Amino acid sequence: MKIYVNGAVTTQFGELWGVSPRSLARGSVESALKDAGIESGQVEALFVGNMLSGMLGGQEHLGAFFAEELGLSVPAFKVEGACASGGLALHNAVNSLLSGQYATVAVLGIEKMTDHKPEDVATALMGAGSEEERSAGATFPGLYAMLARMHIQEFGTTEEQLAAVAVKNHYHASLNPNAQFHNLLTVEQVMGSSKVADPLKLLDCSPISDGAAAVILSSKKAKGSVEIAASVVATDSLGLAQRTHLTQLTSTQKAAQKAYHIAGIRADDVRVAEVHDCFTIAEVLAMEDLGFFPRGEAAVAIEKGETRLGVSTRVVVNPSGGLKGCGHPVGATGVKQVVELVEQLRGSAGKRQVDNATIGLSHNVGGSGATAVVHILKK
Amino acid sequence: MQSPVKIWRNQKNIANLVGKTGKILSWTIVRVPPGDFTDQAPYPVVLVELESGKRVTCQLVDYEESNLAFGQSVVTIIRRVTHPDSDGVIPYGIKAKPLV
Repeated sequence: MKIYVNGAVTTQFGELWGVSPRSLARGSVESALKDAGIESGQVEALFVGNMLSGMLGGQEHLGAFFAEELGLSVPAFKVEGACASGGLALHNAVNSLLSGQYATVAVLGIEKMTDHKPEDVATALMGAGSEEERSAGATFPGLYAMLARMHIQEFGTTEEQLAAVAVKNHYHASLNPNAQFHNLLTVEQVMGSSKVADPLKLLDCSPISDGAAAVILSSKKAKGSVEIAASVVATDSLGLAQRTHLTQLTSTQKAAQKAYHIAGIRADDVRVAEVHDCFTIAEVLAMEDLGFFPRGEAAVAIEKGETRLGVSTRVVVNPSGGLKGCGHPVGATGVKQVVELVEQLRGSAGKRQVDNATIGLSHNVGGSGATAVVHILKK
Repeated sequence: MQSPVKIWRNQKNIANLVGKTGKILSWTIVRVPPGDFTDQAPYPVVLVELESGKRVTCQLVDYEESNLAFGQSVVTIIRRVTHPDSDGVIPYGIKAKPLV
């Protein structure tokens, strides 16, 4: 059985103080249904990717909450896996179709983060880490900063090379009308921004964002369908201290290798990728763990523009602007990545269209690598 | 949300980790902390490999800037982690200090 994305939409990402989670959900799902050319009555189940509704908003029971808002009296589920919640929701939706239980389902990734002050958001996000890390007063920038420092030590990666990731992704975001940021950055601006968790600086970090993305998945092909050729999840220890490796994410490697095998492709076949750049170092790790570059060589390649739109001859990475430029409403991100790939594979990505986009890969990470989700999409 | 029961249950885990020596594998300085740690920031968080091979993530205290270095020897100690909440139980945990 083949699984298709028949409708795919994101809302504007950003500081959406005037918009409620209900209206974000309605806007994205109704548009995705229209994109798929179906009525809401044809949706047989709803999968919601979300992390923080309970801790920040005090609202759990999100399946029923959004089913009510969307007027869907169907089985509905919240799927949580930290910042990989969106990717995990997709994976569960794909499995429900493969089981034959449903023929058409909706996946909604959604997060409302800017209603709350940054310290509270940082505390809530640390729910994705280990108890030991919470007791240490660690933050996610702090955990990735420790990975960055080890990568710098082992491979000679420079802070300027990390900054180049943010510069590239802001350029891509400037071409994406739904992105949170449309301003271009320079390496100097990133290097001069205030330190958040040394060696990571403010502009090495993805922002706190609001936003939603929705896709309609079906086992029936339709006009504009894009095939999901692989949907794979891998896990690792919650905390960094329990990992075997600290300059690579084993979960990403495992998920990617299995996904390539299932899709019958190699890393070199991927023309467009949306990867989890929650921090600039995370994109460097992703490039190496996904097999796009040998270990220790990705940062130099990114700095040379080898993954930049209009320069790259092999794979454009994060044409949406990534988490850094497009924004990172955590539960929405994994779904948004697939929406971007669908637009790229359909050839409807406008100014940020990647040439010859025939195979796309999305990579969504939860925590500091405890969950990794990889999807491969084919035209 | 703190729980006195959880704090009590974790006592033996904390006791088993005290007084162990090890070396710093990596470190950062947290400048934008979670809400319960705002009065402590900025503070260093270190990843330590103990002599037993076990690794721990914890804060470094009683340190000088030169102690933030690969391979710096440290010893684990008990320190207050954050403020008690309305239950009044003081949460203690593991931190590390440089071994000189």
